[in-house]
Amino acid sequence: MRNTKRSPLVTIIILIVVLVVLAVLPQLTSEYITYVAVLAMLYAVLTGSYDILTGYTGPLTFCHGAFYGIGAYTSALLTLKAGLPFWAAFPLSGVMVFVFAVIIGYPGLRLKGHYFAVTSFFFAHFMYLVILNSIGLTNGPMGLGGIKPPEGFLGINFAGLKASYYLIFIYGIIVITGLWLFIRSGIGKLLVTIRENEELSEAIGVNTAFYKVLAFSVGAGVAGLTGSLFAHFFRLLHPTTFAWMTSEMVVIMSLVGGLGTLIGPIIGAGIVTLILELMRFAPELRLITWSVALIAVLLIEPKGLMGLIRRLQPGGRK
Amino acid sequence: MLLQQILNGIIVGATYSLIALGLNLIWSITDIADFSQGGTYVFAAYAAYFVVTLVKLPFIVALLLAMVLGAVLSYLFERVLYRRWTGLSRIQLLCAIALFFLMANLAILFWTAKAKIFPAYLKGSVKFAGVTLSYQRIVVLAVAAILFVVVYFFIQNTKMGKAIRAASQDREAAAVVGINIHTVNSVVFMIGGILSATAAVLISPLYSVFPNMGDLPLLKSLVVVILGGFGSVAGVLVGGMGLGLVESLGGVYISSAYQHGFAFIVLILVLLFFPKGLFGKV
Repeated sequence: MRNTKRSPLVTIIILIVVLVVLAVLPQLTSEYITYVAVLAMLYAVLTGSYDILTGYTGPLTFCHGAFYGIGAYTSALLTLKAGLPFWAAFPLSGVMVFVFAVIIGYPGLRLKGHYFAVTSFFFAHFMYLVILNSIGLTNGPMGLGGIKPPEGFLGINFAGLKASYYLIFIYGIIVITGLWLFIRSGIGKLLVTIRENEELSEAIGVNTAFYKVLAFSVGAGVAGLTGSLFAHFFRLLHPTTFAWMTSEMVVIMSLVGGLGTLIGPIIGAGIVTLILELMRFAPELRLITWSVALIAVLLIEPKGLMGLIRRLQPGGRK
Repeated sequence: MLLQQILNGIIVGATYSLIALGLNLIWSITDIADFSQGGTYVFAAYAAYFVVTLVKLPFIVALLLAMVLGAVLSYLFERVLYRRWTGLSRIQLLCAIALFFLMANLAILFWTAKAKIFPAYLKGSVKFAGVTLSYQRIVVLAVAAILFVVVYFFIQNTKMGKAIRAASQDREAAAVVGINIHTVNSVVFMIGGILSATAAVLISPLYSVFPNMGDLPLLKSLVVVILGGFGSVAGVLVGGMGLGLVESLGGVYISSAYQHGFAFIVLILVLLFFPKGLFGKV
């Protein structure tokens, strides 16, 4: 695996530094920076979960932001309309998105080539249309407000910024550790096998369609959970938050960091979130910068990637 | 009412078919789902708009200039970007999507997000059987039909067309027998650019010109390619018209809010029930 080449000691030191900085951040800095850190952590989990399918298993998809959105709206609506507590709505939104992903992934992921990439792109737009137009439920373009913070326990009140910051911090650590264990497990190794040679995996009896749908749905479920936290942290949802751009942002974060390394996309999420915040003064340039940056990454980095692909296939073309 | 909706569906469907024809050629030969055509579509529409309103040239000149622009843009994208990554179709796809977003957002930066009204170039309409059909809509159908016939004959009857068909069946075998794959790529990308630009300029006077105008036609045309099957001109035509009809009739009789979602539902249903059947090759 690629990431084992890097010295594990360096990785561990970087991880500890990042964790310590994040742990003390809300004590030392302004509320604004704390908010940015929350966004970065949510994106880190989102891109980490995206890596399960696209990085480790192979297929490109463009709908991770939609899963994030479905999770956010599911959780908000379950608490607002059905009166469920957050702690029930949170797991339910993950399950809901998991089921959604199975429904989309089952017919889609059996296809070869770019059919599923295009399908997922359209799916993201379709979900945006649904959220935008189901006005009776989601309040459509007016946005959905009045979402409550998670119910407190043991004397912790999540209405405050710091407590909810640490909730997301701990969530991030748990999920990313979980994703890492998932990748290290037998299933994770099978996923890499599928990425490296799908025909061969099929030939030796691996049900590749099943594992692709599994990877897709696990990643999506995590995105749903993350969306739920987003909803109850910011307490205001708007359809545009989950339009195409969120999905594309996840893609570029993963590419900047390096797909299929888990730690890479997480670092990428941090970097891109920071750059986006710094560009707040020129919102009209943000998407242009993003697109140019993506092309630049493809031009500069995939030279390494191409070299890697050549090394993995010593005979060149088959 | 019903007949009117059917006609509207056919006209919108004709523009989907035009874009899809180019996308289909590109996709089947280079394995790229060329999202950048959505950006070319937007730029072509703006170019034609400015030629008509600022330079005050006739519509037909604007259409021809936009076609040239479409061909040049698509040629450059293939020559400068996609060609670097021959065989790495994931990177090509990401690049195509980046170009698509880049162009739509450049349009916002250059010309603002506000929609521009494309002046009517041909006034009047014909009425028959209780249906009103403006001349501009007839032009859409006529130009689309002409281009379809031209592209069809080009592919069937010229030497380059033969090379294109050979390359779409087997790139490597085509290269072995002496077909210049780079030239074939350039030609299909230029055809794609011309067709996207034409669709954009034809449809602009019926609706308006705005930076995100390419989003939905692009997505729906990609769906048409998937539905219609690779290398099949008839599939593109039937798929495009069919989708146009579903949207137009569904928008009236089922839900106008979800009009633009029908294509996705059709796509998922087809993928569920014909996971392999609708493709020329899998």
